[in-house]
Amino acid sequence: MARRYDSRTTIFSPEGRLYQIEYAMEAISHAGTVLGVLAKDGIVLAAEKKVTGKLLDLSSAKQGGYGGSGEKIFLLNSNVVAGVAGITADANSLVNYARQAAQRHLYLYNEDIPVELLAQRLCDLKQGYTQYGGLRPFGVSLLYAGYDPHYHFQLYHSDPSGNYSGWKATCIGANNGTAQSLLKQEYKDDITMEDAIGLVLRVMSKTMDSTTLGSEKLEFATLTLDPATKTPKAKVYRPAEVDALLEKQGLGKKDEDTEMRAT
Amino acid sequence: MSIMEYNGGSVIAMVGKNCVAIASDLRLGVQSLGIASNFQKIFPVTDRIFVGLPGLATDVTTLHEQFRYRVNMYTIKEEREIEPETFAALVSSTLYERRFGPYFIEPVIAGMQRTPSGSYKPFIAATDLIGCLNFAKDFVVAGTASDKLFGVAEGLWEEDLGPEDLFETISQTMLNAVDRDTNSGWGVVVHLLTKDKVITRTLKGRMD
Amino acid sequence: MDISFALTGKGYVIVAADTTAAHSIIKVKLDEDKIKTLSPHLLMAYTGEPGDTVQFAEYIERNIRLYQIRNIYALRPPSAASWIRRSLADSLRSRKPYSVNLLLGGYDTSTHTPHLYWIDYLGTLASVPFAAHGYGSYFALSLLDRYHDPEASLEEGLATLRRCIDEVSKRLIVSPGKYKVKVVDKDGVRELDF
Repeated sequence: MARRYDSRTTIFSPEGRLYQIEYAMEAISHAGTVLGVLAKDGIVLAAEKKVTGKLLDLSSAKQGGYGGSGEKIFLLNSNVVAGVAGITADANSLVNYARQAAQRHLYLYNEDIPVELLAQRLCDLKQGYTQYGGLRPFGVSLLYAGYDPHYHFQLYHSDPSGNYSGWKATCIGANNGTAQSLLKQEYKDDITMEDAIGLVLRVMSKTMDSTTLGSEKLEFATLTLDPATKTPKAKVYRPAEVDALLEKQGLGKKDEDTEMRAT
Repeated sequence: MSIMEYNGGSVIAMVGKNCVAIASDLRLGVQSLGIASNFQKIFPVTDRIFVGLPGLATDVTTLHEQFRYRVNMYTIKEEREIEPETFAALVSSTLYERRFGPYFIEPVIAGMQRTPSGSYKPFIAATDLIGCLNFAKDFVVAGTASDKLFGVAEGLWEEDLGPEDLFETISQTMLNAVDRDTNSGWGVVVHLLTKDKVITRTLKGRMD
Repeated sequence: MDISFALTGKGYVIVAADTTAAHSIIKVKLDEDKIKTLSPHLLMAYTGEPGDTVQFAEYIERNIRLYQIRNIYALRPPSAASWIRRSLADSLRSRKPYSVNLLLGGYDTSTHTPHLYWIDYLGTLASVPFAAHGYGSYFALSLLDRYHDPEASLEEGLATLRRCIDEVSKRLIVSPGKYKVKVVDKDGVRELDF
């Protein structure tokens, strides 16, 4: 029965559903986990990388660019970092669109784009693909971590249907149910950045398949306010910085692992 | 009265030894009437490039916003920062786009150019209002006090000035040149660039 | 012949404009309001070519309102100023440019700071502590250089404005009789009896 209503994104099924959108969301629930936690003085974003392997050329991630390895976490504007889950090619296209939208806003209004407005811009595009036929929807969910003078730090989530919502802590991708119930238990209002980082890494280590966390499987970013200039400062961690952070949190690779690998 | 002199303002850039400096006045006027003494004409482009935009004040803002947009799009697409030489070409083509209805600005560019060996060399350039580039080895000037700036700079500038000497030279050049120009002055701002840092200082000068 | 003044003080901006509408040498109206309220914390005084002024001011007013309806919050004063400036700069290089000069006074509720912008028909934008357009500027700017205090109370600010208006009445041949005075602060926009 379902197949008759599958061929186009724009046709309702008799039960009033849009199958293609649901399939897109299904695709996302198999993607690498992305986790965001809103603290009182910043936001933390972490993501699980799926494309790994020692033959993968990561030289561009180690130097150059602004950090990150360009798979899961992207800087959309000086005041917004985003984590993506879903089809990477679609995500790249959306990231490019978001960056252009942010620059257009800066050009028109001489200010960084408000976070919710940027989420709206992307959702307008995504919604279009649920209504105008012939094309498949974007198979991507995003987490937006941003700052603007109106509502200060904000965390948003948007899905392939073009819905978006604001969160204190949320998770998308594989195992998002487990992660969210963990977050629900452990999240406290007015959590500090330091605690938020710890919380994010703890939850990530529980939801990810691998036993140990490391920079080859994890991307990490924070958004805080520069104490001197009071402007938002996004930091997308480089692989070495991710490992250093894990080390500090006591979640780094254990010595025995390195020994095992050596033999 | 030329439209280039309507709002007043001047910019100068100088090369030193492993450093460059760029300076401008801070006046915004409507012919002889002063409107503001905090009007920025020099803008940071990257950590290693500054651009000065003397000329018609409306176009100062318009071009600054346009350059910022284009440089940001370049940075996004290329995933690296723009180099001074490349930026100079961007300035030139942006202005030439309006060949037959130009922006009334004569930009001055100062930056530290990365060489293939990984070191940095000072870079300055200036263009006319339709984007004809002039790469100079010593100094470039533009704005309502440009003729005076030429004279003083010609007398004070020497080769291989260190950062502090270059700062003193460009500051004295600017202060003394704008004192002889009715449409420039009301304070001076100087930016000094070395390979790893930027020093910005504002000078009082004559406030009349 | 229109005259407008504006000055900032501690947590407020005062905007004043004359109320005469003239056709060549004839005064045709004496209570024209030349200061529009663009948003709850934004004032715009407009002077220039009759016709252009109202047309342009209404265009700006509607677009600022549209932005507020679409995005819940209003544009902050620096962003509104940038957008308005761009409108004039684009207009300057069009077939029929608007000939309108503006003073934009606003209070930023997110940073709790007053903002004042001087904008002319070319699209020149300057952020200033005090400003004037028209013949009034030749008298007022030098007075404001002497008497303006960014930390002044509202009463002191109004006294400084009074000096400017009195000087114009005393020295200018074609001085207007009446002014409308509005102020914007943390509580929003209000008109003052002056």
